[in-house]
Amino acid sequence: MPRLEDLTEVARQGHLNFPAFEHTDAPFSQLTKPLTEVKLALVTTAGLQVRGDTPFSNNDQSFRVIPANTPARDIIQSHTSIGFDRSAFMRDVNISFPVDRLHELVERGVIGSLSENFYSFMGALRNPKQIEKETGPEVARRLIAEGVDAVFLTPT
Amino acid sequence: MLARAIEEAGLPTSAIVLIKEQAERVKPPRALFVPFPFGFALGKPGDSEFQHRVLAAALDLFKSESAPVLAAFPEDADGPVRLIQASAARVDVSTHIDIEPADEVTALRGYYERWVEDHDGRTGVGISGVPHRQWRGLMKYLYAFAHGEETTYAEMPEGITELRFLKLVADDLKSFYMEARMCQRPEQQDNDLQSWFWAETAAGTMLAKIAARLNASDDQTTKRAAFGIAR
Repeated sequence: MPRLEDLTEVARQGHLNFPAFEHTDAPFSQLTKPLTEVKLALVTTAGLQVRGDTPFSNNDQSFRVIPANTPARDIIQSHTSIGFDRSAFMRDVNISFPVDRLHELVERGVIGSLSENFYSFMGALRNPKQIEKETGPEVARRLIAEGVDAVFLTPT
Repeated sequence: MLARAIEEAGLPTSAIVLIKEQAERVKPPRALFVPFPFGFALGKPGDSEFQHRVLAAALDLFKSESAPVLAAFPEDADGPVRLIQASAARVDVSTHIDIEPADEVTALRGYYERWVEDHDGRTGVGISGVPHRQWRGLMKYLYAFAHGEETTYAEMPEGITELRFLKLVADDLKSFYMEARMCQRPEQQDNDLQSWFWAETAAGTMLAKIAARLNASDDQTTKRAAFGIAR
């Protein structure tokens, strides 16, 4: 964890009491083929976008499409906050959005292939109802239509 | 929450999570808790082997035959805990910054461009839509705004408010300065960069003044915009 015990009491309570959609169980879909045959998609909540696309704004619950072959230099981040150190992402896009690592896994034969498109949402939203009910399911439908078998998600 | 929505549609998911307590409440179907700071989901920038170990642990969760699964990654990675905000960095500022922001940008441009060249064209600059080669006019506008003048920026992109534009431009400026500084002083990390920007640069001083002007407004939306700029 980001070492909650090292944060100020205010920050720690802020994280512990951050509004969450609480659940007692989780939905489950079985992966029906080995990873070596899987078409994997990457979905992030790090507020990333292709250069030139519309930046995320406050409480923005829409998503951005990032084609899987987008060069790292064309991926930028409009999620900015004192809550995290952006210099890590400036040094290496893979720290939040491991595109190069995933391409390497395909080359090594660990996973079958990657989806044509990756997707990006804004993070740290206090009431992401629209993502839960509308934009999240819409991305799921798009991924299924693109023939994706499994999804890997990364935070900010 | 997003992982749940995707899984409910029928696609298996595996997610990296940074706050275990949050994951315990929300219950994503398969989650790998990593003990890293925010902004470091894969652990270590530039360390592909470390990142591969995190990825392998996350992908391994697809073997699970029930949900929820919350696994913990066993290795730690260093990172900053708390970043210094403008107000904290500026507490003891006594040095007089004797340069205009527009000239400072010109002075740093060589470092910035070398950083971009060394990183295969990668840069965080580009959110505002104003190319950094055209920042001289932009900086004059920001400088006038910071000093309380009535001013407008003629080439502001269409369809956004001035407050929104100020936030995007502030983010672009911070990215430009941090990348220039990381090129100039490669050993500098997180809070070195924050302190330098807010305490030692004309642009940091200018953004802090802009934030102060916005914060003095009676309008709550304007006040909130100040919060996003001075950090």
